[in-house]
Amino acid sequence: MDDNKVKRAINPIYFKQYNTLTDSGFYKMLFEKKYLIPHKTDIVTPEQIIIEAKKIPFISYPYEWSFLQYKHAALLTLKIQKLCLEHNFVLKDASAFNISFHQGKPIFIDTLSFDFYQENNPWIAYKQFIQHFLGPLVLTKYYGHHHLKTLANNLEGISLRTLSKSLPLKSYLSPTILTNIHLLASFDKKYESDKKTVSNNLSKSSQIKLIDGLYDYILTLSVNEKTEWDDYYNQINYKETAYQFKKEVVKDWFKSIKGKSLIDIGGNDGAFSRELKDGAQFVIVADVDANAVEQNYKQLMKNREKSILPIVIDILNPPASYGFNNQECSSFMDRVIDQHLDGCLALAVIHHITLSGNVPFKLSAQFFSQMAPNLLIEFPTRDDSWVRFLLDSKREFKDHFDFYNEENFEKEYAVYFEIMKKEKISDSERILYSLKRL
Amino acid sequence: MIPLYFDPGTGALIVQFLAAAIAGILLFYRTVLQKIKSFLGLKNKKEVDFMDEVDAEEDKE
Repeated sequence: MDDNKVKRAINPIYFKQYNTLTDSGFYKMLFEKKYLIPHKTDIVTPEQIIIEAKKIPFISYPYEWSFLQYKHAALLTLKIQKLCLEHNFVLKDASAFNISFHQGKPIFIDTLSFDFYQENNPWIAYKQFIQHFLGPLVLTKYYGHHHLKTLANNLEGISLRTLSKSLPLKSYLSPTILTNIHLLASFDKKYESDKKTVSNNLSKSSQIKLIDGLYDYILTLSVNEKTEWDDYYNQINYKETAYQFKKEVVKDWFKSIKGKSLIDIGGNDGAFSRELKDGAQFVIVADVDANAVEQNYKQLMKNREKSILPIVIDILNPPASYGFNNQECSSFMDRVIDQHLDGCLALAVIHHITLSGNVPFKLSAQFFSQMAPNLLIEFPTRDDSWVRFLLDSKREFKDHFDFYNEENFEKEYAVYFEIMKKEKISDSERILYSLKRL
Repeated sequence: MIPLYFDPGTGALIVQFLAAAIAGILLFYRTVLQKIKSFLGLKNKKEVDFMDEVDAEEDKE
């Protein structure tokens, strides 16, 4: 990457593939279907071909997706592999990191993952597909959303042995899991030290059946775990008038900062960000609750919204930098800072950060100051029912949280911000602060 | 970094033959089931495809 452009160099070893993929129109077909990020050939020399791919503003990683996003990323990979086979190509790797979300949809971002199909050869990336996609999805189906973060600890994908051992006995009753996970794990172990080449054992039509079978299975996968979000609307402790008032303040604030881009921390299903979609070109809506993020994703698919990117982020422990030299996947903070966003929205979140997360105002102020130069933050006072509940949960340590009040909030945030506006939300015990970074 | 190299796994290449065979049986079974259902006049709930459907609608615009 240089000068904000995404460039890739192709060596002569891949010239034949690249030229065939280009000349046959296969790349073009993938662009038209919006399966693959578009690129153009930049420089051609006998030693190297340089291509320039379209830049995606914010790369999200698999461990930041909700279940449905993860599912769609898996299905897109299978769609591409099937299309490849029909045109005598093959996906030579099926890493979940090859997919990102752009304009409301998953998109394949690794232009050079394609190769020629060799007659009757099995799919070289099959094992990787299971380790990156099917494994985490099936674990989530049985044991809940935290398994969607599997790849953060295993960039290579989950080990097949661990995966097979973790699944319940009843999973053996599913022919798809039985063959694609349990049988695969035992075959993989059996042939562990055997590096013989295996070819010509699988006809193309059989491979397509394998892909179709996986596709149908993943399409019907669901996860049966309720999260806090599912009860959210019963828990809202403010009235409709306060809700409408808040929406108006958010809109006015965004107009006043003349913003084009935004991050919404604790943005839930994107209800408030959605109010800004006419003015905002790019909005990241981050929430800790996977079901809320999924709901947001469903809405943007339905409304065909292209500017919103919903991601699952625990703000108390956002994704770190992973991989060799800590440079393969950059941290959440680094990626957000790189965006130079115009605004940050933090509604109904500071009491969770401070009281549930035990993060002092000083540190949360520093955190928000890194997000964007403008911040709209909602401060529920000690009289708010949620705050009272959180304080009561501290039991005998409640006194340690006496600092939680308006005065201290303003004092600590003044280190990083200037208060531009302060408005009490009518019919509630909450205050909205519009802050500008110093 | 050396791009795109990982061990495809000998076992994973062999097992695909079996996995494909089972998938073939399942697909056949489903097709037969659908045919019986449509013969009896029972409609299948069709899931909307998350990518192509959107594209097709966009093209109409």
